[in-house]
Amino acid sequence: MDVSQYLEIFIDETSEHLQNLSDCIMTLEKEPDNKDTINEVFRAAHSLKGMAGTMGFKRMQHLTHDMEDMFQEVRSDKIKVTSKMIDILFECLDALDKYLENVKETSEEGTEDNEAIIKELNDFIASAEGKEATNSEPVKEETPKAETVAREKKFLETELTKAEKESILVAEQNNNRVYGFTVYIHPDCLLKAARAFLVFKAVEDYGEIIIYRPSSQDIEDEKFELDFTFFVSSAEALEKIVSAAKSVSEIDAVIAEEVKYDLYNSKEETAVGFAEASTEVAEIAEPSTQISEAAKKTQPAAKKAAANKPVTSRTVRVDIEKLDALMNQVSELIIAKNSLVSISTTEGGNFQNQAFHEQIEYLERITTNLHESVMKVRMVPIESVVNKFPRMVRDLSRKLNKNMELYMSGEDTELDRTVVDQIGDPLQHLLRNSADHGLESAEIRKLRGKPEKGAIYLNAFQEGNNVIIEVSDDGNGIDTEKVKSKAIERGVITPEQAEVMSQKEIINLLFIPSFSMAKKITDVSGRGVGLDVVRSNIEALGGDVEVTSKLGEGSKFTVRLPLTLAIIQALMVEIRQEKYAIALGSIHNIEDIPVKDIRYVEAKEVIHLRGMVIPLIRMDKVLDIEPLAEEPESLTVVIVKKGDNYAGLVVDNLMGQQEIVIKSLGKFIKNNKIISGATILGDGEVALILDVNALI
Amino acid sequence: MGNAIEVSEKATKQYIVVKIGNEQYGLDISYVDNIVRMQSITRVPKAQTYFKGIINLRGEIVPVMSIRLKMELEDDKFTDASRIIILKIEEQGIIGIIVDEVKEVVELAAENIDHSTKTAKNDKNSFISGVGKNGDELISLFDISAVVDESENI
Repeated sequence: MDVSQYLEIFIDETSEHLQNLSDCIMTLEKEPDNKDTINEVFRAAHSLKGMAGTMGFKRMQHLTHDMEDMFQEVRSDKIKVTSKMIDILFECLDALDKYLENVKETSEEGTEDNEAIIKELNDFIASAEGKEATNSEPVKEETPKAETVAREKKFLETELTKAEKESILVAEQNNNRVYGFTVYIHPDCLLKAARAFLVFKAVEDYGEIIIYRPSSQDIEDEKFELDFTFFVSSAEALEKIVSAAKSVSEIDAVIAEEVKYDLYNSKEETAVGFAEASTEVAEIAEPSTQISEAAKKTQPAAKKAAANKPVTSRTVRVDIEKLDALMNQVSELIIAKNSLVSISTTEGGNFQNQAFHEQIEYLERITTNLHESVMKVRMVPIESVVNKFPRMVRDLSRKLNKNMELYMSGEDTELDRTVVDQIGDPLQHLLRNSADHGLESAEIRKLRGKPEKGAIYLNAFQEGNNVIIEVSDDGNGIDTEKVKSKAIERGVITPEQAEVMSQKEIINLLFIPSFSMAKKITDVSGRGVGLDVVRSNIEALGGDVEVTSKLGEGSKFTVRLPLTLAIIQALMVEIRQEKYAIALGSIHNIEDIPVKDIRYVEAKEVIHLRGMVIPLIRMDKVLDIEPLAEEPESLTVVIVKKGDNYAGLVVDNLMGQQEIVIKSLGKFIKNNKIISGATILGDGEVALILDVNALI
Repeated sequence: MGNAIEVSEKATKQYIVVKIGNEQYGLDISYVDNIVRMQSITRVPKAQTYFKGIINLRGEIVPVMSIRLKMELEDDKFTDASRIIILKIEEQGIIGIIVDEVKEVVELAAENIDHSTKTAKNDKNSFISGVGKNGDELISLFDISAVVDESENI
């Protein structure tokens, strides 16, 4: 059967279930007696098994089946949750993850049988149960939901349209029999549409399906509860078709019998029962009066069932590429709008029309709102990335033999999808770093009077146009003296240089490529590809990373990321003939500073402003622009900030605020980080975007 | 462009013939995306010296390189004949190179291309993959991947 159309759903749902399983098993480890969690785990495993089975991934199905057995035993209190068991379960999850990866890449699950893990699982079950040998499969308890669903011959009650009645008539005239079918799907079944599809496929080997209830489109879209009804025109005997339909797994019951045109044509007549397929329906079809009574009874039940169904959140999954395309189009629109604005302001007399300006303002509002909406669509909580970290820290704790715990906050902080996708690795690295190098061994912690259990924190929050993610620990902190001696040893700096370096500069040495502080090389960290990769990854996203550390008390890595990558509000400035954009988010305020107010500290120009000493940066110098022949009496200074640091950028002119679309300079130009990109102005001119973070 | 492929195909290849100084150069037409007139180039501070800056090509930002500066010739003098040839290179993206003049498109058969003049020692020649003979005229054929290669020129 062709299940490829369900592959994406399968991948999405499987990863959700795996994440869920992982979370639950973590909880289980802490609260081994939590019945709710055990049930949850069981359900997730069961769903996984069902889905893998549907998609024909036998190995996955096998593994999840055995996991389910284990949970079943736990659920019925035959086995206690032990840490050994948790370890095995995590191994299983990793194996399932691998299957999923294979499925993602090749649409196949791969050939790894994971016999070892399955054996381990079964041995564990066997040993836990002691002498109670489990040669036979443990009897599986079906979830006792079935009794609430009344099995009805719904096809008898189906209201048919005239055309449909005629199609029955035509079939009868062609000496075919018409059978009504009502199929009940197992309540736990996922991918109901796929099941229905399989049933149809099986049935169509024998005859033609002439009527669908609900419509075939609705069935395909899974717009039905647990049952669906259809009519088959066939020359074959009913039993054959029924057994074909029943051969599809996760089908609870197939109820069918022959129907006649007359039955639907005049309600007075009784249906003539032909054959029974389902055990539930033992008797021959009843008179329609009785049926309508039965129908009355079932109706409230059906309603109740519908009410109990959890409200599915009204969302759609959208391919990220489509969102990118949408974003590009919004960008184009904004560029077009900007050129309209620029025409309206430059062409003089021709466009002094009031209505024209109003329309342009209206257009500006719409594009800004549109941009915001598209942006919001692209925002996802960082949860999807960080929720795998507790598990990782747990594993690290085992591997490094250090007792530690990860505390997270702000998982609901939202970021652009592209950023979220790429922030996982750097964060993971920082966490590993904290676990491996940051936290001390238990003995030292005791000696220092710290709690035995090391703490790692991951805090995320929004700050202006940025999202800040802090990874901190209460460990040893960075030993700057050690860093210094290491740097000298490696020839990164000279001893003379080391003398005059500030603490901060020394810490920044950690970010230099191939500078690893690990005393011994472990597989956790210490391969020399460490913090430099973290930094370059984060910088590639337009962010930066900072470290603060106190020896003996811990260290904190602060990752700063832009909320969005594509479109920002910016202040346009002029320096001689050249135009530059500065992101509005990083601008603190703008000042006119008389030249005589400039002071000097360490031979550098600074200004003293409301109690703050702010260094001045002459943009013309930084950007290699010819200096002015004569210095003006006062300077236009754009005060920018990065965290707690401020700087004053000296520019010639302010041109005003504008929404700009950020474009990359491409791979050829090796620029010096001062320029973070370019943008196209309304008149088609290109302006460069200054990266304030690199300037400060 | 592997030499072996050119020989084995035995087919002809099309080149765009451009003038830089007194010399004629050929660019493999399969790399050429577009030829545009000179337009205002926005300088990018601190970029490699032979990068003149970036231009707006219908909403795309395209870096523009001076092939003269890259080959250590004297700087470009922009005239009415000056053109920017937009090259599309698979991995690295789009790049524009400035030429003095675009002359014509020629078809060169493999046997009319002489690879022997390539000498690895001479820097300037390392951008040339061979010399094509078109009647009386000689055309130096650019090795495009070498022209746009940035690895040794940081």
